[in-house]
Amino acid sequence: MDELDLLKKDWNRQQGNYPKLTYDQIYKMIWKRSQSIVKWIFYISVIELLFATIINIVFSGDKYWQDIEKNGLSQVITILYIVSYAITFYFIYRFYKNYKKISTTDDASTLMRNILKTRKTVKYYIAYVLISSGITVVGISGYMIVNHSNTDVNNISKYSFETIDWLKFIGVSVLVLTIFLGLIWLFYRLLYGILLKRLKKNYVELKKLEM
Amino acid sequence: MEKELEHQFVSNLERDQNIVHKICRIYTNDQSSHNDLFQEITIQLWKAYPKFRGEAKFSTWMYRVALNTAITLYRKKKRGIQTQDYDSVHFRIKVDEYDDETEQHLSLMYNAVKELNDIDKALVFLYLENKNYKEISETMGISEVNARVKMNRIKKKLKKLLNP
Repeated sequence: MDELDLLKKDWNRQQGNYPKLTYDQIYKMIWKRSQSIVKWIFYISVIELLFATIINIVFSGDKYWQDIEKNGLSQVITILYIVSYAITFYFIYRFYKNYKKISTTDDASTLMRNILKTRKTVKYYIAYVLISSGITVVGISGYMIVNHSNTDVNNISKYSFETIDWLKFIGVSVLVLTIFLGLIWLFYRLLYGILLKRLKKNYVELKKLEM
Repeated sequence: MEKELEHQFVSNLERDQNIVHKICRIYTNDQSSHNDLFQEITIQLWKAYPKFRGEAKFSTWMYRVALNTAITLYRKKKRGIQTQDYDSVHFRIKVDEYDDETEQHLSLMYNAVKELNDIDKALVFLYLENKNYKEISETMGISEVNARVKMNRIKKKLKKLLNP
């Protein structure tokens, strides 16, 4: 007998031995893909927060707080921390909500709405990070310029600024700030950009189905 | 409209899911990749479903889309490093009525099928599914003559794999 025919006989004997998925299990599979992308957005945001917190703890030792207290800034800094963590937690909550919503979505148009919402949340988040970093940098440099302590440098008169020096100083500062924010923007584009692109692709596909 | 399409699709797939499971079995070696492939095929079928206008039987259409998905995925994976999974020896579901010798022979044959390339696997699968050459050629998008020639080559390849 032909080798393959023996195999065929066995193959057909095993008809009943396959898994049997229910209607609901198959139904859920159709929507799984967007769900896993949104899940990753949520995970990344949590990892990011943990990472930022660890960096904060590592870099802000006792000395850092002593310096802050010496300048009478501990209250302001504490408030800033609370506000920034509150905003970050809010975004994580939103990402989580989006993820949960997409998990339980039941039709294409709702899913499309949720995809758009997720994309918007991510964009707001990136805007928040950029704006807050910008304000922080400007704030810190402004404070340092206004309140710099003369004791740090001997013979301060040597360092007095003419108008042209101020212009140069501001020019360089703006340049550095732009590069700094540009790098952050690039980092987030890479981090979330890929996921957002995939979400968009799914959205376009869903839209085609709708028509 | 959308809802109704969804319902139609899922019911059809629920009824004919065995076909997809069988394809998964030919192309994967363990349960979790079986499930992944099943899901991927489901997604591809659903995406292609609006283009399915009922000119063919649902199952016939399914063979084509599902096999294409399996072949495409398999191609992508092949670029990575391939390792032979020795567990696949046991991927045959045992049937009590066979004696040990037949049992062993069948195991070896299933393993030989696993060694074939993606396209050959698809042909063997359709052959095992009792499709005639006309149906095989339609599903694979090749001519009937070509299907016969390929099938003969596969038989030779399998013989070689079994009797090195």
